[in-house]
Parts: sequence; C-alpha cells; structure tokens
Amino acid sequence: MEVERIKFERTGGIAGMRFAADFKPEDLPDEQARTLTDLLDDLDFDELPEQMTNEPSASDQFTYTITVETKKGEHTVVMGDASADEKMQSLFDLLTQIARRQMRKS
Amino acid sequence: MHNRLPINCIIPPHMSKNIATKGTEAQKVRAINTLKTSEQMRGQRQALAEFSAAAFRVAAVGGKERVVYDAKNGSNLPGTIVRREGEPPSADVTVNEAFDGSGTTYDLFNDVYKRNSIDGNGMRLDSTVHYKKGYDNAFWDGEQMVYGDGDEDLPASERLFNRFTIAIDIMGHELTHGVTQFEAKLTYSQQPGALNESMSDVFGSLVKQYQLKQTATEADWIIGQGLFTANVNGVGIRSMKAPGTAYDDPVLGKDPQPGHMKDYVTTISDNGGVHINSGIPNRAFYITAVELGGYAWEKAGQIWYVALNDKLEANSKFQDCANLTYRAAGELFGAGSIEQQAVQKGWTEVGLPADGGGGTTPPPDGGGCLQALLRFLGAAPAK
Repeated sequence: MEVERIKFERTGGIAGMRFAADFKPEDLPDEQARTLTDLLDDLDFDELPEQMTNEPSASDQFTYTITVETKKGEHTVVMGDASADEKMQSLFDLLTQIARRQMRKS
Repeated sequence: MHNRLPINCIIPPHMSKNIATKGTEAQKVRAINTLKTSEQMRGQRQALAEFSAAAFRVAAVGGKERVVYDAKNGSNLPGTIVRREGEPPSADVTVNEAFDGSGTTYDLFNDVYKRNSIDGNGMRLDSTVHYKKGYDNAFWDGEQMVYGDGDEDLPASERLFNRFTIAIDIMGHELTHGVTQFEAKLTYSQQPGALNESMSDVFGSLVKQYQLKQTATEADWIIGQGLFTANVNGVGIRSMKAPGTAYDDPVLGKDPQPGHMKDYVTTISDNGGVHINSGIPNRAFYITAVELGGYAWEKAGQIWYVALNDKLEANSKFQDCANLTYRAAGELFGAGSIEQQAVQKGWTEVGLPADGGGGTTPPPDGGGCLQALLRFLGAAPAK
C-alpha cells in the first residue's frame, strides 16, 4: 500500500477533546513511517468497513476517524475503542503520538 | 451475571461479523476464525466469571461491594484483582483512589437517594486501573469503570494528563453512566447523549461535594480538577458554572462548551457533541443549585435524580429535561414552590424555559409520600 497522506482525528473520551493530525508518511522518521505502513498493510486497511463504531453503551470511549490517501483514492474508517483489536489499537496509539507532536508544533 | 464484552483482547463479535459480511475473502476467513475463537474464549471466561461472581456474592449481601483490578498497562479487561471489599489499602495510590471513589459514589446514591448501587440492586462496583500505556481517558464499558494513567508515556515536559483516578468527580461521572444505563437509558448521541453526559457531570460533581461537605456556593463546579499537569493552561476539563472557560491551551485548544442554547454546537464529531453541548444542562443545574443554596445534593440533586430515575427516556432532549425536572420539583416540593422556581430560573437562563404545565398542587397539609420521604432524608423542611 503506497500511502501518500493520512488524516487522523480522535474525538470523545471523558474530556471530549479533539486530537488531529494531517501528514505525509515521508515527513515522519523512517522507522515510524515503516511501522505505520506495516500496520496499515497488516490490517488490510483499504478493505476495512467504513463504520466500525462503539457499542451503544460505551460511554466516554474515543472515536477515531482515519483517512488514508493512496494513488487509487482515499479510504476512511470510523472506529471506537471497543471495536478495535490489538493491531488496530497499535495504529491508534501511533497516530495519537503523531497527533500530539503535530499539535505541539503548530 | 456478567456477559462481558470481549473488547480489545480479541476482535469483538460485532466487528468480526461486519468483516465476515463486508470484508475481502481473506478477511472473511480470518473473521470467521476469530468468531470461533472468540466463542471458545468467551465460554472459558464465562465459566471463570460465574465462579468468581458466586464467590463474591456470599460476602456481598446487602452492602457495598467494590473490586479493583489492575490491567498492568494492557488492554485485557478486567485484569488482575488487586483490592476487594474489606481488604487493607494497597501500596498503589491509583488502586486506593479507584476503591475510595467508587465507595463515595455508592454512599451518595445509597445515603441520599436510597439507591443500592448502580443497578439499584447491589451490583458490585468493578474498576480497572492502569489500562494501557499512555491512555489519557476513563470510560464506562457497560459493566465497569476503566481508568488510564494519562500520558505517562511521554517525557514530563510534554505531559498533559495525570492519572484519571486523581479526580473523584471523574469516578462519580463514570459510575453515573451506569445508573443512566439502568434507568433513563439516554441514547449516547446528540441531545439525549449530551443529557447522558450532563447527568454524569452533575452526579460526579455532587460526589465530590458530598465528600468535601461543600455547599453549592463553596463548590468549584469544575469537572476533573487535578487531571491536567502543570503544562496545561486550564483548571479542569469542564466548568459547570461557566461552560467554555475550563481551559485555553496552545496544545489542547479552547474549551468548546456552550452555556446557552443560542450557542448550541451542531457537529457530527463526538457522537454529535455529547461532551460539548452538555455544558447547557450542566449550567442549568448549577444555577438551580446555587439559587437553592445549601448542599446541592439535597434539593437540586434530588430533583435531577427523580428525573433520571423516573421521568427521562432514551430519546429525551434538553427541553424534555427542563420540563421533567420542573415537574419533578413540583411533585417533590409543590407547584410554585421556591424549588420549582429555582428549576425554572436554571433552565430559563440557558434559553430553555420549562413548560409550566408540570407539577402538582401541594397537599394542604404539605404532606404526601414524597414530602414525608424528603423530610425523613432531611431534604425538605419540617412541617
């Protein structure tokens, strides 16, 4: 999967704060970019359903919106904490880290 | 008996079912295998849960029953038991905070509103601490409270959040989600979702005030005081007194909460702004409580509790809440009473004057079952 751009947003949580990032993998350190691409490949990200939201009773959980842009087009997945397996959790963690850094710099 | 959602440790059934029907061929095969494994694991876990629950139930009859688990920075819930009811404090402050916070929440609901735990029937209060690494959140998963340690994975100079058990109102907030789940069942989206959030802030704040024995004017009405590190320009995550003023920070941005209907935020994020627009009913409660004076859990809290317990429904909106709390105040304290006037003032000041049709005429002797009960609880004046 040749990723050109990623847009990430985390909303909700008890604090109700928005964390977001918009970046090109080429702007990341090499190792981080590789980890990110590997995770997206392992997850077959471009084949995932667009909506995998929280359980109805999952109060205060985070909702993640991830858009991955490739040469073929873009694919967006909306997902909650409760809907995520360990690999997806790793992707959330990595993208949240990148968002924190980006928000701090801006 | 618990039927715990298998979140995080394996793909949950609803997601696997999604993939099994909508995914690629390879994903479908993997999802079906996951569903099979999940069913097997759930069987084992169910057996363990039944065994543990039976063991606990013996000691849990009639009283408050708390259990704190440690996820050890993983995502498997509930984790390892680290403190049970009757056991001495742990060496881990986070464990003790979760234990004590759920205890004070139980006490408020039990002592003041005569509610025996979250479900009204003595449900054990389970909390998991040290959930994941760098998890800056706390949530109610439908069966238990879960607390992260903040962003402890970052260097001290970059940290924004402390551990989420640091603020007792956060714990009261999460447990109140449980009460709402059993009572009004407010849908977690748009206005009903914002009411769900507001109820959790209201009773979360009351838990803190009850612990500190603060009157409405003494209370800070801040949600999550102590949650931010010194790196953040803010006093907490929300202000019930002045929504929109809790923080204004270069990294986190500005508190987006409105305190009046004219500023209602229409958004698809955050389940339709459930943590944003909750500022409006939050402020209505604050104004009502300050107008009445004294301890907010007594009169204002009682009115809101009756609305949550008996009147609100899954799709109730802000105007419904205004009308129903107004009606509850009329039933509890009498039509035209200062309590009902205070409720009207609270909602009017946020742009939602209550429908005057609610309430009942007080009996000539100022009596009635609810009045008698309130006098017994000390929340209504003596005859």
